[in-house]
Amino acid sequence: MSREIAAELERDPVYVVRTPAFDGPIELLLTLAQRAEVDLKAVSLASLTDEYLRAIEQEAPPLDRLAAFLVIGARLVQIKAAGLMPQAAVGEEEDLQAWEDAIKGRLEEYKRFKELAESLMRRHASGRFTFAGLLEPEVIPQARVQVSLDALATAFRQVLDRLPPPEQVTVEMEHVSLADKLEELRQMLVRQAQMNFSAIFRHARTRLEAVVTFLALLELIRIGEARVAQASAFGEITVHGQERKTAE
Amino acid sequence: MIGGATQVRDTTGLAAALEAVLFTLNRAVTVLELQDILQSPLPDIEAAAASLAEALTGRGLFLQRHQDQLQLVTDPAQADVVRRVLRPEYPSRLSPAAYETLAIIAYRQPLTRARIEEIRGVNCEAVLESLEEKGLITETGRLDAPGTPRLFGTTMKFLQILGLRSLDELPPLPQSASTSS
Repeated sequence: MSREIAAELERDPVYVVRTPAFDGPIELLLTLAQRAEVDLKAVSLASLTDEYLRAIEQEAPPLDRLAAFLVIGARLVQIKAAGLMPQAAVGEEEDLQAWEDAIKGRLEEYKRFKELAESLMRRHASGRFTFAGLLEPEVIPQARVQVSLDALATAFRQVLDRLPPPEQVTVEMEHVSLADKLEELRQMLVRQAQMNFSAIFRHARTRLEAVVTFLALLELIRIGEARVAQASAFGEITVHGQERKTAE
Repeated sequence: MIGGATQVRDTTGLAAALEAVLFTLNRAVTVLELQDILQSPLPDIEAAAASLAEALTGRGLFLQRHQDQLQLVTDPAQADVVRRVLRPEYPSRLSPAAYETLAIIAYRQPLTRARIEEIRGVNCEAVLESLEEKGLITETGRLDAPGTPRLFGTTMKFLQILGLRSLDELPPLPQSASTSS
């Protein structure tokens, strides 16, 4: 039977293999390898492909012949690899059919998704989006919201902007002591453990007083008696009083 | 957790409460969270969601659902006017590879990168990375297999860029070619 096959193949082989271990059409090599009638370990597939590449450089075969060589070559590599693995069973001819079916199925599946991809693209290109509200809280996860120095500075700026313009202030020597403000803030935080940032400045009458109050707040944060928090992006900054961790 | 107050609210009332919650939270909310927020069992939440979706027909808003998440968004028919005021940064065109990968994930989720590559026949690492970065897909879990590979699924944003109410509105999967000529 193998002679019949050989005869038919020799009329128009995809490629004729010439190696010390096997001499004949590559189709026959595959058939024999599948029946374990030829020892693939003795056939160098690397030199076989090298020679094939050299051959097609000289004369480019039609595309279907190239594809046929690839299919047969891939199957040979698979059988050879399986032979080198201790437990893998070498597939029979039915296996080749199953393998082809699997590939075909995969290509069909891919084709279906390619069609779907085009319909998704058309939908997307139509621009008919849906939109959530303007500020999505998840953009800035609450856990990650920290008060930056900039945010503090901006908040302070707003406090300053609310104060009467400086020219209305009678210029006189003012004495606002940082120590006094520090103590004042401490008392405020004792009375009310949590306050809004702006509330801290409620009693500030002048720019200087507000500045000293701000400095006092920074000092309290530095020595660990207060901390600031912001629940959400652009939200109100709150000041929390807290016990100093280590007494100085 | 579920008190006697549950019986007091009928579906319409619960739908109104749901609308208020979705409006104020302004993000995707899971039905699990909603059970807690609305103090109602899952079937009531589902009924309220259906009722709200129905009530919003023909309105400017749209109840979007991605698996167990609900979100109040604008109707796709209003996209132009919203775009005029919002000037949102949405990914414009994606690459053909990205649409293919999105399609595979959308219909087969959750699935691993290996499965996606099996269908597309090429390495998908870069395209997956880019889709994840754009927020169109996300890791939904890990497969219980050697190496516990990541499982991918689509996101709410995926529905948003396609203007879909839910994954059910995706075009039907074409029949396999073997059944047609």
